[in-house]
Amino acid sequence: MRLLVVEDEDLLRARLVKALSDNGYIVDSATDGKAGLFHACEYDYDAAIIDLGLPEIDGITLIRTIRSKGRTFPILILTARDNWTDKVEGLDAGADDYVVKPFQIEEIRARLNALLRRAAGFSKPALEFGTVSLDTTARQLRVAGADVELTAYEYKVLEYLMLHPGKVVSKTELTEHLYDQDHDRDSNVLEVFIRRLRQKLDPDETLKPIDTVRGLGYRFNVPSGK
Amino acid sequence: MSPLASNRPAWSLQKRLVLAFGVLLILFLGFAGIVLDRVYKESVAAAVEERLQLRIFALLGVAEEEETGFFMPELDDARFSQIDSGLYGLILDSEGLEVWRSPSALNLAIDTTVIMRDALSTGETLYGSVSAEDLGELVWARYGTYWENQDRNYSFVALESSAPSAAQIREFQSNLSLWFGAMAVVLSIAQYILLRWGMRPLQLLAGDVSAIESGDRDQLQGHYPSELQPVTRNLNMLIKSERERQGRYRTTLGDLAHSLKTPLAVLSSALQETRREASLPPQQLREMEEQLARMDEIISYQLRRAVKSNHSRVLAKPVPVAAVIHKLLAALGKVYRDKAMQVETSIADDAVFYGEESDLTELCGNLLDNAFKYGRSRIGLTVKQEARILILKIDDDGKGIDEQDKQWVLQRGARADTVTTGQGIGLAVAVDIVSAYGGEIEVRRNDWGGARFIVRFEQA
Repeated sequence: MRLLVVEDEDLLRARLVKALSDNGYIVDSATDGKAGLFHACEYDYDAAIIDLGLPEIDGITLIRTIRSKGRTFPILILTARDNWTDKVEGLDAGADDYVVKPFQIEEIRARLNALLRRAAGFSKPALEFGTVSLDTTARQLRVAGADVELTAYEYKVLEYLMLHPGKVVSKTELTEHLYDQDHDRDSNVLEVFIRRLRQKLDPDETLKPIDTVRGLGYRFNVPSGK
Repeated sequence: MSPLASNRPAWSLQKRLVLAFGVLLILFLGFAGIVLDRVYKESVAAAVEERLQLRIFALLGVAEEEETGFFMPELDDARFSQIDSGLYGLILDSEGLEVWRSPSALNLAIDTTVIMRDALSTGETLYGSVSAEDLGELVWARYGTYWENQDRNYSFVALESSAPSAAQIREFQSNLSLWFGAMAVVLSIAQYILLRWGMRPLQLLAGDVSAIESGDRDQLQGHYPSELQPVTRNLNMLIKSERERQGRYRTTLGDLAHSLKTPLAVLSSALQETRREASLPPQQLREMEEQLARMDEIISYQLRRAVKSNHSRVLAKPVPVAAVIHKLLAALGKVYRDKAMQVETSIADDAVFYGEESDLTELCGNLLDNAFKYGRSRIGLTVKQEARILILKIDDDGKGIDEQDKQWVLQRGARADTVTTGQGIGLAVAVDIVSAYGGEIEVRRNDWGGARFIVRFEQA
């Protein structure tokens, strides 16, 4: 999952980026509204965290502009102004949720999780497809009622595919959303993760959860249980 | 101004002007009437005296001496010869004894000592009045003469009834009152019209000010005369600067919140990292976290209290409640999308709140947020306007508020829950706003078993 964090306070931004990276997110950051707008328009993000008090372009205008450019990824507002006029203004501008400063990283993580899930059209914390169930809060995969252990990268790949069910996801898209920009993008590594996931999800090869669409990419293809 | 004096408004300008003009009108017309009356009376008296003098000279002209008195062969004025004609002639000697009387004075019975009381030298004339039986009030003129042949002094007296001149004066007086009355009526009407015309700009100003009070207008817009323009200009500037000041105040507080809370957020995330790395004893870490949480609580509460306006209703605009509620419901619907709350609303379209929109947003935001937070599946919202009372009812189907907590939850400045961030603050701020606007807030248990908050504002 690739996230954009726009926050002008260096220390806070650094800590947010670190905490979110530790949680397995790929995080880009911007220090002002202008840079934030550039990033939001230039790259494809799964979600953004935007502080309302920003230099250059303020948070509300930034959100409004992002939305006017047709970007639909969920936006979480960070605000120091704990009053409803500001919150309503931010949500009305196109944000999806807010967190009031100071906050616990866990809270941000939980809100982000919910936003990502909702953006994919799921209303419950678990993504359920037939016998496959991925709990995005506990980061736990269950297949046919039994817990299945995943590595951090395996989880990231599966979560991304399950959040875009039935959609062909290219290797480039997967790489962009799962790796840092400077990361060596070796597509063979991705193939290894997909193979391992197939084994873990479908040891008997009856379900065939992940299709390979030749020349295009991968598709999560299990009848929906949502 | 003392509070007592301010309760009783000073007399209106119109009342003052009407009264002052009325008193002036009465004084002027009264004084002018008296002067005119006196002048006319004097001129009538002078005319009578002149006439009598002429009659005396006429008598003197025809008077012929005799041994024992006078012989008057022919009198030029026929009224001297006609009995009770109103014009009478007498000749009296120095002792006051009657030497001759005109034929008209046959029935004349007067006390001649009244006429003869004052000494009179030759060629002089005295005037006076005397009352005669049957013939009424008479005006007399007495002229002193000296007859050399007899070596005696005589007084020639002419008398005339004062009735004709009195009638003349009465007629003048009645004419005078008629004209003055008409003048008073015309002047009063003119005064009324002039006052209305002159006071119109002030009435316009009062209307403009009340339009601002009721929020129909932002500024004084009327076309005012030059005397009022400095006042209206200053008032407009005052209104503008007051609105700007309120806006600036809010922005400043927002900035303050931002600049206080961002370092708190940094500290808080640093502590979380410390906890993960276990680089501090847990006891110390907990203390630091607690203190941080307290600081955050205090800043939040005080800033949110301060951000609410100083409830100056004078410059308040009527805020349509429905618009504010719909915005809030859209925002809260986003935030609590996962709860899929069923929201039942009954909002009167014409309901308005007289105050700051931000205060209404804050009040409803906090109460609705609590309803979304504590409700299980449904929320009820009713907004009614009954005469001058705005009523907001917010229901949820949560656990409700226990009887023993009710009083204390709604106490101003009190916090029901000092542990859960947000909840206590939200309610405390709501209570603050309600009491700042002189409203009432109460909480009950509704049919769903949850809490029902009822807020009432009495509005002008």
